[in-house]
Amino acid sequence: MANLALRDLVKTYDRTEVLHSINLDVQDGEFVVFVGPSGCGKSTTLRMIAGLEEVTSGTVEIGGQVVNNLEPKDRDIAMVFQNYAIYPHMTVRKNIAFGLRTSKMTRAQKEARIEEVAGILGMTEYLDRKPNQLSGGQRQRVAIGRAMVRDPAVFLFDEPLSNLDAQLRTQMRLEIKKLHRRVGSTIVFVTHDQVEAMTMADRIVIMKDGHIQQIGSPAEVYHAPANTFVAQFIGAPSMNLLDGRGTASGVTLWTGAALATGPGAEGKALTIGIRPEDLHVVESGGVLTGIVSVAEPLGSETLVYVDVDGKEIIASASGRTPPVAGDRIALDLDVRNLHVFDAASGEALA
Amino acid sequence: MTADPRAGTVADGPAHALLFLTCRRSQPVADTSQSDDMSPTARTGLSAHWHRLSIRQKQVVWAWAFLAVPIVFYIVVRFYPTGNAFVLSFQEWNLLGSREWVGFENYVDLWNDPVFWIVFVNTFEYLIIGTPISLVISFFVAYHLDKVRFMHGTIRALYFLPFMTSAVAMAWVWRWFYQPVPIGVFNNFLAQFGIPQIEFLQSTSIALPAVLAPAVWAGLGFQVIIFMAGLRAIPPTYYEAARVDGVSNWTMLWEITLPLLKPTIVFLVVFSSIGFLRIFDHVFNMTTNNPGGPLNSTKPLVLMIYETAFGGRSQMGAAAAQTVVLFVILLIVSLVQLRILRDR
Ligand SMILES: Nc1ncnc2c1ncn2[C@@H]1O[C@H](COP(=O)(O)OP(=O)(O)OP(=O)(O)O)[C@@H](O)[C@H]1O
Ligand SMILES: [Mg+2]
Repeated sequence: MANLALRDLVKTYDRTEVLHSINLDVQDGEFVVFVGPSGCGKSTTLRMIAGLEEVTSGTVEIGGQVVNNLEPKDRDIAMVFQNYAIYPHMTVRKNIAFGLRTSKMTRAQKEARIEEVAGILGMTEYLDRKPNQLSGGQRQRVAIGRAMVRDPAVFLFDEPLSNLDAQLRTQMRLEIKKLHRRVGSTIVFVTHDQVEAMTMADRIVIMKDGHIQQIGSPAEVYHAPANTFVAQFIGAPSMNLLDGRGTASGVTLWTGAALATGPGAEGKALTIGIRPEDLHVVESGGVLTGIVSVAEPLGSETLVYVDVDGKEIIASASGRTPPVAGDRIALDLDVRNLHVFDAASGEALA
Repeated sequence: MTADPRAGTVADGPAHALLFLTCRRSQPVADTSQSDDMSPTARTGLSAHWHRLSIRQKQVVWAWAFLAVPIVFYIVVRFYPTGNAFVLSFQEWNLLGSREWVGFENYVDLWNDPVFWIVFVNTFEYLIIGTPISLVISFFVAYHLDKVRFMHGTIRALYFLPFMTSAVAMAWVWRWFYQPVPIGVFNNFLAQFGIPQIEFLQSTSIALPAVLAPAVWAGLGFQVIIFMAGLRAIPPTYYEAARVDGVSNWTMLWEITLPLLKPTIVFLVVFSSIGFLRIFDHVFNMTTNNPGGPLNSTKPLVLMIYETAFGGRSQMGAAAAQTVVLFVILLIVSLVQLRILRDR
């Protein structure tokens, strides 16, 4: 039972500021995912929440209490590490029991709790094995089990799935989500994989260079990205970003095509974003025309890379009758699906 | 197992050999019946044969080609003298005359020699006092030095310095430390507090630890370095996870650090035990006027062997018998330690 709040959190390593004034409120029971490119400060933020890293300035609050100067063990948190950090010389049972070392439970209660957790994770039959007799996914489950036994208020995960293969990752993703549904604890999960973020999160926190770029539900960050960084980072393939300029009634693309997006940015240099799936291949007309340079069939759809006046644009075409390389095609779009950003700052315009 | 003439035809041999050494159980070497067709076209025949070998077989050929050198070396400088010493231990020989068979006489003499039993006990005292003390001290130093950032390299170098210093020079310096007032450092220090003189090297009860101390000190640097390497190999997240779980530093030390250091500890226990069982230089140089004295109270087995062999009467057979006894002791101690420390 705890919410989590970060207030003006700053982290400095030897005079280099790596985190700049992070503000975030996480509700009790919420699943929040930090996502961003390598080196953006996700782990640092998580480790400050855990108490493994000193806070330079600002506060970390857990359950309404400032915990800046509390040892990790006094914060009622549990953490799962990227390399699992399970002890190779202990059996699964002992590894999980390690989380209960300081608990005041009786021996029998501890045993029961370990069995219960192992049951939830489907690890009962592996309790007496050593970690080197387990698969990657099972080791990950042990790490989660060790975090779970203590029934902490907040779970912290630092890229727990990045050492797993693609299939196992998808499976564990689902399991962690189910687990969250079941135990209902607050979870802060760090990843650099936007698919993980989109699929698991109640809310996503997108970070870059120590700044929060946007906080929102998966739908919000996908459909209303706050800036060009978020627009390109979320969604695969990435959103197309096109040069344009504001006019009295809307925008003009670099090709000269005029689009009636409405007034408001007259004379301004703009960046126009459009997702590949919002570009449709049409027989005639269309806003943009160009030559297909590469076509990537994915089954349900085909990604086409189209050269439009020297600019490469990705569009999604039907999977049944896809264009082929060399075709001249026309692309149409709905102006309601356009995202308009200020070209200089990259910020979204309303 | 000798170098194969075909071996010269492929350039990347060492890699193959290493690959073989690290990951292969040995398999029958390439079919040796191939040597029967040394026809006029032998060169092309040979290279044809070489190319017909599987990669695995080529690795085996290469491995043996490279192993041949150390094997020959070991046979000449290790195994032959060792075997010779075993034979010699059943003979009598004074270096000049002929060797005579005497059966077990050398061993029986040794058994009945009271000095041998004193020496035997001394040797084990060096082992039993030296190994645990040096390991505990070096672990203590390594454990704390690992956490020190300030002048880390310098401090580590200071610990390592004695290991690089000549044992003879060191023994003489320590010998000087142990002298009575006004020369010896230790006794001067004690005198300042009005504590009576200690006859470090002359007392039968204190001489052995006094001789052992510099030996422990000299080995410390090496052990500290090895321990630190072992400590560095433990992922820091193990400790972070433990911190999150809220266990004490003491628990971390006993349940994480030490168990994970076990391979390092096993290595150092065996290595330093062998060192203490073979102690010689320090004893010899610190007690030159009366080697192994006073009253044989510091004499280790190696010194006894040295005196038997080169101490005037040149009883090579008896010395060889003592050497065999030392060898057996080393073997048993090492095997027992490996046994005890391995499982569990
Ligand atoms: N101990 C340290 N000393 C100095 N700089 C550090 C230290 N730890 C991290 N940094 C810097 O802080 C920044 C954020 O690091 P952090 O580990 O939080 O990145 P991350 O977002 O977790 O990246 P990744 O996805 O690669 O794990 C990086 O630029 C890194 O270089
Ligand atoms: Mg990280």
